[in-house]
Amino acid sequence: MSYPTKTLHPDEKIKAGDLGKKISRVGAGIAVVGLAISLVLTMSSGADPAAAGHVSKWSRFLHAYVIGWSYIASISIGMMWLILLHYLVRGRWVTVVRRLCEAMASAFPVVWIVGLGFVLPVLAGNKDLYYWTTDAAHDPILNHALAHKLGWLSPGFWGVRYIAYGAIYSGLAWYFAKKSREQDESGDAKITDHLRVVAGPGMILFAFTTCFLAFDVLMSLLPKWYSTIYGVSFWASGCVGAFSALALLVLYTQRTGRLVHSINEEHYHDIGKWMFSFTFFWAYTAFSQFMLQWYGNLPEETVFYKYRMFGDWQWMSIAILVGYWAFPFVFLMSRWTKRIKTTLVFFAVWQLVFHWIDLYWNVMPNYDWSVHDGLNVGPLAGPIANHHVGLSGVDVTVWIAMIGFLLVGIGRNLKGNLIPVKDPTLGLSLAHEQL
Amino acid sequence: MSTSDHGHDTPAPKLEPVHGPGELYGLLAQYDTPGELKDAAKRVREAGYTQFDCYSPFPVHGIDPAMGIKRTILPLIIFGGGFTGALGGLALQWYCNAHAWTWNISGKPTWSIPANIPIAYECGILLAVFASFFGMWIANKLPQVWHPLFRNDKFTTVTDDGFFIGIEAKDGRFDAAKTKKLLEDAGAIAVEECRLDPDPASKQMPKWVMAMIVASTAFALIPFAIAAKARNTHSSEPHIHIFPDMDFQPKYKSDTAMDLFADGRANRGEIPGTIARGWLEADSVFYTGAAKNSDGVDVYTTGFPTAYPDGRTFAVDGALLARGQNRFNIYCTPCHGYDGQGDGMVPRRVKLRGGLWQARNLAEAPDAQGKGGVVEQMPNGLVFSRITNGFQTMKGYGAQIPAGDRWAIVAYIRALERAQNASVEDVRAEDRSKIR
Repeated sequence: MSYPTKTLHPDEKIKAGDLGKKISRVGAGIAVVGLAISLVLTMSSGADPAAAGHVSKWSRFLHAYVIGWSYIASISIGMMWLILLHYLVRGRWVTVVRRLCEAMASAFPVVWIVGLGFVLPVLAGNKDLYYWTTDAAHDPILNHALAHKLGWLSPGFWGVRYIAYGAIYSGLAWYFAKKSREQDESGDAKITDHLRVVAGPGMILFAFTTCFLAFDVLMSLLPKWYSTIYGVSFWASGCVGAFSALALLVLYTQRTGRLVHSINEEHYHDIGKWMFSFTFFWAYTAFSQFMLQWYGNLPEETVFYKYRMFGDWQWMSIAILVGYWAFPFVFLMSRWTKRIKTTLVFFAVWQLVFHWIDLYWNVMPNYDWSVHDGLNVGPLAGPIANHHVGLSGVDVTVWIAMIGFLLVGIGRNLKGNLIPVKDPTLGLSLAHEQL
Repeated sequence: MSTSDHGHDTPAPKLEPVHGPGELYGLLAQYDTPGELKDAAKRVREAGYTQFDCYSPFPVHGIDPAMGIKRTILPLIIFGGGFTGALGGLALQWYCNAHAWTWNISGKPTWSIPANIPIAYECGILLAVFASFFGMWIANKLPQVWHPLFRNDKFTTVTDDGFFIGIEAKDGRFDAAKTKKLLEDAGAIAVEECRLDPDPASKQMPKWVMAMIVASTAFALIPFAIAAKARNTHSSEPHIHIFPDMDFQPKYKSDTAMDLFADGRANRGEIPGTIARGWLEADSVFYTGAAKNSDGVDVYTTGFPTAYPDGRTFAVDGALLARGQNRFNIYCTPCHGYDGQGDGMVPRRVKLRGGLWQARNLAEAPDAQGKGGVVEQMPNGLVFSRITNGFQTMKGYGAQIPAGDRWAIVAYIRALERAQNASVEDVRAEDRSKIR
């Protein structure tokens, strides 16, 4: 089968120019303002942290911080995955948008530094974020179920792993971006072959790293709970956010007059297809996790759903089921919603909001530490009725600040050519067509 | 059809002289590259032709708009199929589990959406795939075993490197000369007339094909006919044995005759040096619950064994009762219930379906006249024997529960009886004030 190819449009604006600087500057503004408001809100908060079993007011801020950080980290990680996949399967359509993907993946060093905001307090002895840092967790009678996990969940080792995650993601993103830019100069087709070879082991490394990152940062908030699919679900949800963010970034880049001839509805269509498939795949993994734990009915597993299926949280669970899966699933299924920019943007923004709600739903029910006692006294005990969704202003402002940080991270990397001009698959990507 | 000027060694259709040249089907034009094919298709469409098609060894990008083909409605068909499948899967489960045959499985609800999702999902996928596969057949008018263009020799290259456009003569704009010129102007490397087989017999389905269809259809109905006959008639004939070697196995059962051995028995005697199961169970009380008295009559023991076969002392203590409770809860509760009153899950299901059967109340105490309380009045050895060998509808548990555990269950049954027929005197004196 012969594939049609095209050459780059002679009038195409492929230089980044001040695009990155603009994005970074806006991002920095959002981040600083968002963070300042969050700090003010936290310090002036009248809520009693002891009611949820915490010591200081910063506990809420830290929980919100973990949500916001997971949000931007998962988006950056999701784009790293697309780059790996693109090389691994000899992908073609991605080439025209790959510089933008690389910029998002290469934002990880910034994301990692931002993450120190919750990692350093834990290392410095904060006992208000992770239950496994508390003295109660080390009580062998009260927390018999936790005793064998505390070797893994010790602040020192946990911090070492955080450094490893940063090194792996940043290293992968840096290496793929660097080699691709080298190709812009030399035009050496062997670089593409080389990256295809690297993508294989890279993908395996990526899978393990993502799994353990999800376990360490998010799942260990409820340390007595078990779920092996959690890392997959986190990655799938992150990819929903990542592809939605990519759609917006591509659109914004074209709005500034760049890449207008190279990227067309065929490429948007493919981005939309990925949004659709990960929307479904996320639902598939989330349901797999729910189904087995619900049916198995073991207290150490159902504890997660016990606080999400009853009381206030059940409405949020239903909202996520409908808003994060059913509604976008039905509409993104159609060819046209992915090819018309208005509808694609609508669903990109929609899914970006719901990606955050999903993470919020994962983290915040653990804020009230009676969840940890609930497992001690029995599967059906524990004050579920006291568990309220209780959205606070800090939760949202921290999230917005985090988006600002992500924009800073992305903007930093938008420089030079916005398209890999000498990539051997560029012609195929330019002429890409949905059959 | 002019095969003679090809130089191929394919023989020309032999019937042509008899029936004449055959009706014109259309014109077949060959193009060199997919790009030329696409351009030519565009020109043919713009010239107003509708009854034409393009043929290529592989899918050609952009051929659909060039030919003016509308987007397929296949996705809608697939959506309909998937939706029907998912709803049908849900309906099936509702009908089976929650309507027609409600069955109490460990007290779980008969209708529960989360449990039904996997089946609904699978059914949705199944019907979506069927809709996609068969919908594609219908949309492409498949299966099509023959096409008039197959009579053209050049057309065989269409599966290799040939790109063709065929315009049918039934198209309103078709004019042999003008159409040919159009195709040639569009860059055809060859344009040929394509004629239908002049033999009138070729327009009919061959008789042997019809015969095969009729025969196989009739053959396929035979099993149904046999089943229908069997349902509606009586017969004194024996069953039809579909797998006779399963029904009549070439083996001998115990205590039957057999010619092979000199003694004429199928059984073989004890092999020297071997010990059969049960031979080492010398402790009659421990393994059967009974021992012979001085008159040589088996009498069930009212107490418990004094020692295990391995020499350990048999003590009726807390550990034994705990073991007994554990085994009882596993083996006995499905019928007798956790409290031994005969209200387990199985009798509950029987009641739900209108039955009367009930398991024995193990904990019942006899009344003043000594009636009822059957188990309580049994000697321990008999209870042990009933567990071992079964009684009435209860099968024996001797093969499943080791003898020591069976004695532990006996002890636990005694504890259940005692606990449920307790009086105030059974409570320690200092704790009696707490009872209200």
